[in-house]
Amino acid sequence: MSRGSVSRKSAPGVTGFGMLSSAAMPAAPPQSGEVVVVKDEPGQPHRGKVFAAIHAHLDDVPYYASGLCAKLMREGYTGYLVRTSNDERSGGQSTAQNILRNEEDHFRMSAALGFKDVIDFYYQNHDMDGISYIDLRGRLILIFRMLKVNTVISFNPWGSWEEDPDHWVTGRAVEEASWMAAGPNDFHEHLLAGFQPQKVTERYYFHARPGQPFNRVVDISSHIEKKIDAIVECKTQGDGNRGSLVRAQLARQGKRLPLLGNDDRTADRAYVRQFLLDNEQEYGKQHQLQYAERFYYIDQRLPSRSKAEEFIEKNAVQL
Amino acid sequence: MNRRRFLSRTGAGGIALGGAAAAQQPAPASAQRSNLPPGVTPTAYALPKSEYRASLNPDYLTYASDLVIERNRPGKPHKGKVLAAIQPHSDDITLFCAGTVAKLIDEGYTGYLIRVSNDEKAGKTVGHGVVQNETDNLEAAKALGCKAFSFYYRNHRMDDCAIIEIRQRLIFLFRLLQVNTVFVMDPYDHYDENPDHFVVGRAVETACWMAGTGGGREYPEQLKAGLKPASIREKYYHCRAPQGHNLVNRVVDISSYIDQKVRANVANKGKGPAGDNGARLRQELARQGRKLPLLGNDDDTANFQYTKHFLMEDFRTLGKLFGVEYAETFRYIGPESDERRTVRKYVDEHSVRL
Repeated sequence: MSRGSVSRKSAPGVTGFGMLSSAAMPAAPPQSGEVVVVKDEPGQPHRGKVFAAIHAHLDDVPYYASGLCAKLMREGYTGYLVRTSNDERSGGQSTAQNILRNEEDHFRMSAALGFKDVIDFYYQNHDMDGISYIDLRGRLILIFRMLKVNTVISFNPWGSWEEDPDHWVTGRAVEEASWMAAGPNDFHEHLLAGFQPQKVTERYYFHARPGQPFNRVVDISSHIEKKIDAIVECKTQGDGNRGSLVRAQLARQGKRLPLLGNDDRTADRAYVRQFLLDNEQEYGKQHQLQYAERFYYIDQRLPSRSKAEEFIEKNAVQL
Repeated sequence: MNRRRFLSRTGAGGIALGGAAAAQQPAPASAQRSNLPPGVTPTAYALPKSEYRASLNPDYLTYASDLVIERNRPGKPHKGKVLAAIQPHSDDITLFCAGTVAKLIDEGYTGYLIRVSNDEKAGKTVGHGVVQNETDNLEAAKALGCKAFSFYYRNHRMDDCAIIEIRQRLIFLFRLLQVNTVFVMDPYDHYDENPDHFVVGRAVETACWMAGTGGGREYPEQLKAGLKPASIREKYYHCRAPQGHNLVNRVVDISSYIDQKVRANVANKGKGPAGDNGARLRQELARQGRKLPLLGNDDDTANFQYTKHFLMEDFRTLGKLFGVEYAETFRYIGPESDERRTVRKYVDEHSVRL
C-alpha cells in the first residue's frame, strides 16, 4: 500500500469520526451517529458465516484490519483473503522480484492470520485506475457467490484523501459487487454453474487515512499478537522485517538493542510492537482499550419479517 | 448482422423484390468485367451475388491451398464433444453457419448457442426488440438442437464494452460447458462495419486459449469454484456479408442440413431476412388476388419456402462452386500438433540402452 506518511503517523490530532483537529488537513464531511465500540464476543456467534477481506496490497489488511479479521475468525467466521494488485512497485527489487516476493509474503501472511484461502488477482500495481473496472467487479461477484460471503472488509470507496488509485478502485468494485452479487441478472452465467445470488449484508470499510469516517471501533487487544504475526510477514513492503534489519545493522556497528532480542523473529515482532502500532494504541486509548481498529461499518441485514409483512399478517381479514 | 441492405430490400414484405428499387441498385460485382491485366493472378475472388439481392456471401474470398471440403460423417464421431456457437446477434449463426452447426450436432456434438448482444436495435421499440430477439435466440437454438444463452450487451455499442470483461465471461462459460469447438464470426473479416462483430470475434479468439491455459493463472478463482480448464482445439471462423474479405480453408457440405438451417432462420422473427417474410408476401399477394405456388397454402410453408428459395441461394451458389448442393465456408483452425507426444514418439523410437 501507499503508506506515505500520514497513515501510520497520524494518531495525534485525530478525533471522533475521523475528524482532524489539524488545521493542515482539509475538513472531512460531517458525520452523524454514534461510534460503537465492539468487544470480543464469547463462543462462536458467527459460526457458519463467511467474510472476505479484499485489499489491494500485501500490507493493507495487516495494518488496517488484521485485528478485526482475527477476532471474527475466532468468533466463528470463515475468512478469505483477496489481493487485487500484483504489488510490483513495492519491494525495492526488480519488478519481477517484487511480484514474487510480495506473492510469497502474501501467502505467509494469510496463513499467519488463519484465512481459509487466499486469491490473488495481480492487477498492475498503482495502475488499477486504468484497468477494466467491470472485469474486477465480475470476478468479485463470482467469489462472493462461490464462497457465500456475508461480510466484506475493504477500503472505503468514499474515503477522502486517498492517494492510491488501487485503494479506491478496489473499494469501489467491492462495494458494487457486494450489491450486485445478489442480483440474478448480473453475470447470470454463474447461476448456470450452480452459484446462487448472494447478498453481502455487512461491510467494514478501513479507516485508511486521517479524516476518513468511522463509526465502529473494534477492540483488538486480545488479538494483537495475531496482528503482529501478520505484519511481520510483510517483509517486502510494510516494514515487517525492520526489526531484524536494524538488529543486523547494529551488529555491523558492534552494537545491539536489547529490545530486539537475540534472533530475527524476536527482533521483527518487538519492532512492530514498539514502533508500528501507535495508531492502534491511540484509537484504543480514546475508549479505554489497549488496542483498537477503526471502521466505517454498514449493516444491511434485514429483519426476518419486513414491516409490510408484519402489517399484512396483523391486518389481513377473511374474505 | 448488419442488415441495412436486407431491410431496404424486404421492407415491403418482399414484394419489392426485383421491382423498380432493385433496378436502381448498382450491378453486382460478378457482372462487372475484370480489368485485371493479362498475366496477373488474382489473390481474391469475387463471389457471384444473389439475383434476389439478399447477399449472404462476402464480397471476396481468398482460398487456402490446403482447402478441405468437409462432408457428412456416418454415426456419431463427435459424441462427448461440446461446441459453442457464439454470435453477436440473433441472426448471425443462423444465416452464416447454421448448416455446419446442425451437422456437427447431428454427428454427436452437444451444442450451445451464445448470443452476446441484446439486439435492441431491431424492433418497433427497444423493449419489444430485446424481447422478440431473446425469444428468437431460444427458438433458433431449438431448431438447431442447441441450448441457448444470452449476455445482453447493448447492440451496436460493443466497442464501448470492456472486451476483457466479455472475455472473462466467455472463459467462464467455456470452462463450465467444457467447450471443445467454437463457431464465431472471423475476427479478421476485413471491412466489417459492425463493431459488435469484431469485438465478439476478438473476445472469443482470446478466450479460447486462455480458457485452457494450465496452472490456473487465468482467472484462478474460476478453478477454485470447481471449473476445469477447457481444451478448445477447433475453431470455425465464419464469413459474413455483405462486406467481407475472408480467407477460406474449409468448405462444409451442408446439403443434408439445409432444411434445418432454413428453420433456424425462420425462427428469427425480430431481425434477419427470413422470419415471417414469406407469410407477409403471401398475404400481400392475396390482397392483390394473386398467389405464388412456391409459398404453399399456409404461413409456415410460406416462411420456409421463401427462406429456402430466396435466402439460401448464396449457399447454393457456393455449393455449385465446390460440386455440392449447398455449402458454407470457413477459416478453420484445427488442433495443433502435440509437441510432447511427438517428442515422446521420437524418444520411444530412437532411444537406446545405456
